[in-house]
Amino acid sequence: MTDRTAALQRCFAATFPGLAEEAIPTASVDSVAEWDSLTSLTLVALLEEEFDVEISELDLPELRSYEDVREYLQRENRLPA
Amino acid sequence: MKLVEALEILNRPVPEDSRTLNVALACGFTPLHLETFLAAELREAAPTKRSTITTGRFDDLVGNIERAREGDADVVLVVVEWPDVDARLGLRRLGGWSIENLADVVESAGKSLARLSSEVAETADLKPLVCSLPTLPLPPAFVQSTYEAGMHELGLRALVTAVARDLAGHPRIRVVGAQRLDAASPADGRHDPKSEIATGFPYTRDHASALAAMLVRLVVAQPPKKGLITDLDDTLWQGIVGEVGAENVSWSDESGAHVHALYQQFLGSLASAGVLIGGASKNEPSVVDEVFARADILLDQEVIFPLEVHWEAKSASVARILDVWNVAADSVVFVDDNPMEVAQVQSVFPEIEGVVFTGGDPRALLDSFGRLRDLFGKHATNEEDALRARSIRTSVGFRRSAEARGHSMNDFLRDVLGEIEFSWRGEYDARALELINKTNQFNLNGRRLDDGAFVKALGEPGAFLMTAAYKDKFGPLGRTAAVLGRAADGVVHVDHWVMSCRAFSRRIEHHCLSALFDRFDASSVVVAYAPTNRNRPLQDFLAAIRDDPAEGEIAIARDAFAGRTPELVHAVVEVNHD
Repeated sequence: MTDRTAALQRCFAATFPGLAEEAIPTASVDSVAEWDSLTSLTLVALLEEEFDVEISELDLPELRSYEDVREYLQRENRLPA
Repeated sequence: MKLVEALEILNRPVPEDSRTLNVALACGFTPLHLETFLAAELREAAPTKRSTITTGRFDDLVGNIERAREGDADVVLVVVEWPDVDARLGLRRLGGWSIENLADVVESAGKSLARLSSEVAETADLKPLVCSLPTLPLPPAFVQSTYEAGMHELGLRALVTAVARDLAGHPRIRVVGAQRLDAASPADGRHDPKSEIATGFPYTRDHASALAAMLVRLVVAQPPKKGLITDLDDTLWQGIVGEVGAENVSWSDESGAHVHALYQQFLGSLASAGVLIGGASKNEPSVVDEVFARADILLDQEVIFPLEVHWEAKSASVARILDVWNVAADSVVFVDDNPMEVAQVQSVFPEIEGVVFTGGDPRALLDSFGRLRDLFGKHATNEEDALRARSIRTSVGFRRSAEARGHSMNDFLRDVLGEIEFSWRGEYDARALELINKTNQFNLNGRRLDDGAFVKALGEPGAFLMTAAYKDKFGPLGRTAAVLGRAADGVVHVDHWVMSCRAFSRRIEHHCLSALFDRFDASSVVVAYAPTNRNRPLQDFLAAIRDDPAEGEIAIARDAFAGRTPELVHAVVEVNHD
């Protein structure tokens, strides 16, 4: 796991403390009960802080899973492909 | 603090049996990350305490303050921003920036702030309260360029300043210090317009973190230090007096020694606020006396007591000063220009706070003054602060006089013409709370009370608060003892009982217990006793009046006390404040 991937996992672990470490890569709006509009804002704030990226509110609807977030950060060149 | 760190702090487990601190956060915006940072800062400041934060409704600051007042919060945080003063000063309400509206904005702001101030003060009468007044920049709604301050902008700022001044005068309101916040959170890094428009949360994460830290610092305040011990040569003045002579040490601007004058002025300021000032110098006493005899010295020698001047180690001086003050090392700061001397003192007293005097660097010196203010800072001074230093001298005189006399303690105490004034009140008393939170040695159980817990205790059925002020022919000691408890059906329960070490050896503690029996016509007084590492004087007192001072709730029967208490010779005056 790269440092950047570890940082991404740290963001998810901090936002969803009940989520087991091994469940983070498959986490999604559908699988995590705590993933609501408020925790979405927290997660986005953590990603902006950790990856020095500004996430537009227009992009929020597409960030519905760990995989979505990972791909988004790769597109923004904040995470290695 | 970063947001991820705050969340990780909050994800740590808290001990199950920890007490809960209920905090109400009243603001007119979406609290979002401010709430997270507050919770994390509270956890860091009080790791064993669970805290809950309740928030209110968007765009209803006054309503949120009212609900916080009526709810079960232990402490209320009020965070005001410009849209709470007038919605036209925010980004989410449109149609208010035309020039003809500006006078109306200022006028309506005056009315909003008056109402806000009244709600805040009413709430603070019931609960401790911390208030932050607008921290964000005003919107570019004014006629002038941003280089110029116009009368409408200044009118708004003047209104806020006036409210802040009034609130700061309330004994239970703490207003966030703008100057400190400016240093922690630069003005141009505070506002997040995107977040304000999208979510109603107007702060950058950095600003939310800085503001949360300030708010929590005022909620979970550390007890102020009690005394400062200062070096003399190259600290209180410039030069080594033993080498250059009393006439050639300096604190004047002409000789580049102005920082030493500032230091003398600063010590005088601390002393006037009740801080004990002691001196420790490796010198010949006679030459030091010559310096203090100079007409131009700013700090009167009377302010420094005791003044230890000899050739022994500084730690020996500190030990003697602590003994005279009767305070613990962790309540004291030691200042010396020589880092080695600071280290030597700390090697013997690791708990002492050491500060190296940096006379050659005025910037660093001012920073250290700020640090000292933080260590000694208190919301307001009281009459005991003015008496404290004098009463230390009085106590030394009392002790020496007692030791010098050959006859009995009863005779001696009769001769000193002591008078104790017991004050009874059922309401908040800042001096009593200060005593409970600063006293270590004669302390029933070592338990501290925050503002909210103190108010809650005073609201218990049958609650009483007694303080004792003492004076004798050596002078007044001021209010030096406090008892907080409950009384019902002839039984008195004492939850907190403290007495300043300055009042030892006068049987004031016996008088206090006697007063409790008499006041409530009680058959017994039950005290919530717990031994601590420091309350040996309290333990000795209980052992003297009771065979078995077991830990926990222990009952002292009136008859047993009467049979064991020594003669109580002081005149007693009772004052009711209810």
